[in-house]
Amino acid sequence: MEEELIQIKNSAVSLILEIKDQKELEELKIRFLGRGGRLTLAIKEIPKLPLEKRPNIGRLANEVKKSIEDTISSQEYTLSETKTKKIREEIDRTEPGIKPNVGHLHPLSQVLYDVVDVFKSLGFQAADGPQVETDYYNFEALNIPKDHPARDTQQTFYLDTRNSKVEPGEIILRTQTSAMQVRIMEKTKPPVRVIIPGKNFRYEQVDASHGFEFWHCEGFLVDTNVKLTDLFGTLDYVLRKLMGENTKLKFATTNFPFVEPGVDTYIQCTVCKGKARLPNGQGCSFCQMSGWSEIMPAGMIHPNVLKTAGYDPKKVSGFAFAIGLSRLVTLRYQMDDLRLLTNPDLRILEQF
Amino acid sequence: MLAPLSWLKEYVDITLPEKELGDRLTEVGLGTEKITKDNDDVIFKFEITPNRPDLLSIIGIAREIAAIEGKKIKFPEVYDIEKYIVKKTLPLKITTDSKINPRFTGIIIDGITVRESPKWLKERLIKIGQRPINNIVDITNYVMLELGNPIHAFDYDKIKGAVMKVHQTKGGEKFTSVDGISYRLPKNAVVISDNEEIIDLCGIKGGENTGTYEKTKTIFIRVPVEVPSLIRRASLSLGLRSEASSIFERGVNAGGTVDALLRCIKFILEIAGGEIVSDIYDIKKEEFNPWKLDLNLERLKNILGISIVENKVLKILEDLSLPPKKILKDTIRTEIPTYRNDLKIEEDIIEEVARVYGYNNFPKTIPSGQIPLKPPPYFKDYRLEEKVKNIFKSAGFSEIYTYSLVSEKDLTDNEINPDKTLRVDNPISREFEYLRPTLKINLLKALFQNKPNFEKINLFELGKVYLGRTLDEVKEEYRLCAVSNLKNFYEMKGILENLFGELNIDEDPSRYIEIINEGIVFELSYSDLLSKIKSDKIYKPIPKYPPIIEDLTISVSEKIPTKEIIDAITRQSPLIENVSFKNMYKDNRTFHLVYQNKEGNLTTKEVAKIREKIIEALKQKFKAAIA
Repeated sequence: MEEELIQIKNSAVSLILEIKDQKELEELKIRFLGRGGRLTLAIKEIPKLPLEKRPNIGRLANEVKKSIEDTISSQEYTLSETKTKKIREEIDRTEPGIKPNVGHLHPLSQVLYDVVDVFKSLGFQAADGPQVETDYYNFEALNIPKDHPARDTQQTFYLDTRNSKVEPGEIILRTQTSAMQVRIMEKTKPPVRVIIPGKNFRYEQVDASHGFEFWHCEGFLVDTNVKLTDLFGTLDYVLRKLMGENTKLKFATTNFPFVEPGVDTYIQCTVCKGKARLPNGQGCSFCQMSGWSEIMPAGMIHPNVLKTAGYDPKKVSGFAFAIGLSRLVTLRYQMDDLRLLTNPDLRILEQF
Repeated sequence: MLAPLSWLKEYVDITLPEKELGDRLTEVGLGTEKITKDNDDVIFKFEITPNRPDLLSIIGIAREIAAIEGKKIKFPEVYDIEKYIVKKTLPLKITTDSKINPRFTGIIIDGITVRESPKWLKERLIKIGQRPINNIVDITNYVMLELGNPIHAFDYDKIKGAVMKVHQTKGGEKFTSVDGISYRLPKNAVVISDNEEIIDLCGIKGGENTGTYEKTKTIFIRVPVEVPSLIRRASLSLGLRSEASSIFERGVNAGGTVDALLRCIKFILEIAGGEIVSDIYDIKKEEFNPWKLDLNLERLKNILGISIVENKVLKILEDLSLPPKKILKDTIRTEIPTYRNDLKIEEDIIEEVARVYGYNNFPKTIPSGQIPLKPPPYFKDYRLEEKVKNIFKSAGFSEIYTYSLVSEKDLTDNEINPDKTLRVDNPISREFEYLRPTLKINLLKALFQNKPNFEKINLFELGKVYLGRTLDEVKEEYRLCAVSNLKNFYEMKGILENLFGELNIDEDPSRYIEIINEGIVFELSYSDLLSKIKSDKIYKPIPKYPPIIEDLTISVSEKIPTKEIIDAITRQSPLIENVSFKNMYKDNRTFHLVYQNKEGNLTTKEVAKIREKIIEALKQKFKAAIA
């Protein structure tokens, strides 16, 4: 028995060491260790031995089994090593990869989520509201009564009121996300920090820099003791975070009936770098050759608006702003036409 | 608004170079759009905000420059009426109403000669884009542009009955303007009639019947104050804008009519000759005096966030021609000239100080105060939205944004009734007239648009649709919609199952998927989806005991839905942890079964018993047999 076991071991080990591939190895495994394998059969004989011989033979059988198994696993390792080596050698690293079929998020979404992130770091949360809006929230509550000339700057789409109880002119497509200011303030107490990204509509003929549908991101903050310098600091932080630390900004006075003081924010043109001309000598069309792009009207919320919303302008103050989101996208990616954002051509989309 | 540098220099000394002046004016709120050289002059083009009608005049712009430069303004010379004694008078009976015409200032001049304007006057007008007509019309235009008060000259002899009645229209009246265009007037427009007909559409255009032409010898000059809303309504409903109407609808300098008239008289007597043949008419109910506004220095500091020294504040207000006077320890009282209608509350004065101080000289701070914890009203979870979109992105879909407005044809092509779809009353074109009730319209169009360039097209959009047949039923809803000419039904379903799994929603998405000629499309309410999301996922411990896994192939009619078979199997024992469909070949279907006992080891005997139960149940229910 002892001799037989040693012989099994020797023949198994020498055969295993000579195999050329995985298939041969598998065959040997079965031949020696399988259900009807030589070692298995031999082990089955052990109980028939005299009792006193059994422990030693048993131990020996285990040793034999282990050394066969060890040899197998060392051969398996060698085999896979050889295979890997072959793959390594044969691979052509210059050949292009096989790409999984992955789509693309629209550039507007990519910028939008960046904007949401940046504001989140300042404690602003996002909200969303109706696009089919009342004249009240879009204009009147924002200190723009019916006959106010400021309405000229926001030509409005009116909805067909036929078959409804709505008075003509009362329901419109919102012209500004600012329509959400009073809606939100009515429903909550200060402190408020909120942004409202969304689509707006204006009756405008379409060209490279105007659309009848476009995106803004409104934002406002109301608290005790909010100052104009807070507005400047917020706009500066947000725009440099979005457009790069070295982005140059300037502020100017402007008028919107729902802010006082009113602020307009310009960033240095990202295309011509403020030079108003392109390297080829042509005038920069992105900034109409001014070197600056108007990006973010803003201001301290007008006391009348706070009052309308039920806040006491003697106790709280706030600021509001609106980022031209569509404009921001075109500036970031140097797209020379706003209409590219609503064009579903995959040749555009796949670039982002 | 165009303004030549040479003209501005008549009222203020300008030391800043043009470019710097333009930048500085933009900073204080007078948006400088363009600076162009014109021979030896420089023309500024400004964008005027609606709150500043005073900047629609050269003197108004000069005042802004004076404020920047810290200089005083020189008001132009006007006719000294005090010294004039009227020798002969002509009659004119005026009736007006301060509610529709707050101020009516005017005078009659006789013996004038209407002819071409002198060269200097024509040149000035041409420089700022005006067409010279004759000396009288040119002078009235010139003084309007100079001082900001619109002026109209009537041919006195053509005012029938020497009567002027200011009144409102009933609607439908005929009127022909000086430029020969006929209008039907809307209701409530303010007009002047003589004894026979309407001779003036107040604040907008004069009438052809009383215009100033070559033969005119006697004129009546009117410098009015009109009611902004009345002018605006009439002008909007006629689609008729004039320089005068844009000043009036923003609010004219009510205190400036007499000065404008006197300036006008000076030029007329110099250029067209003639003599004054009436006293000044100045019909008004109130005095139109400057008003007072107080500025609290503490409030100034609180709103601006910086403390500007008191002397600097006083100097800025002085330079802005808002004479300041300190009335209390921390209060400055300013006097607001009548041309600054935009200054009504303390915050307005705060802006005046801030803008001249220079926004770009302010420090920048980050808001202190509490960060709100609770989500705001109308909260929207953009992280979730991004997550949803990324599921489609990783499944090979590209995102598009399309217009909310669609055409009638878009609707009918998709078998949607336009009469039951929300519509815009004043669309920019027929192409964009209706609010989309489904995203499918634009996704299908996008698919077709891409076909010439791409074989494999997967697109999706997350956007709003607008539901309701009339405005009484408006409902906006976010939808998620995708189209593919590449994926089959099961692939599309798999993507949605993934999405639902991510959101912890237990629902079969099949009903959202539609098979069309071009491929496959699905659309579902994202708003509804959000409401179905179940609360956060909870960890389930991994089983301590090994499961028993086996495949079961049955032969069953093809008509029986797989879901029913799976449900029937699952019902047979609580020890069946999971049943999934593996594949189908002819009428053979293979299911993958996982048996699991959480309490202990499963024995093959137990499993055999359950298996028998399953087979029996399937046999009874579906006439199925073990294959």
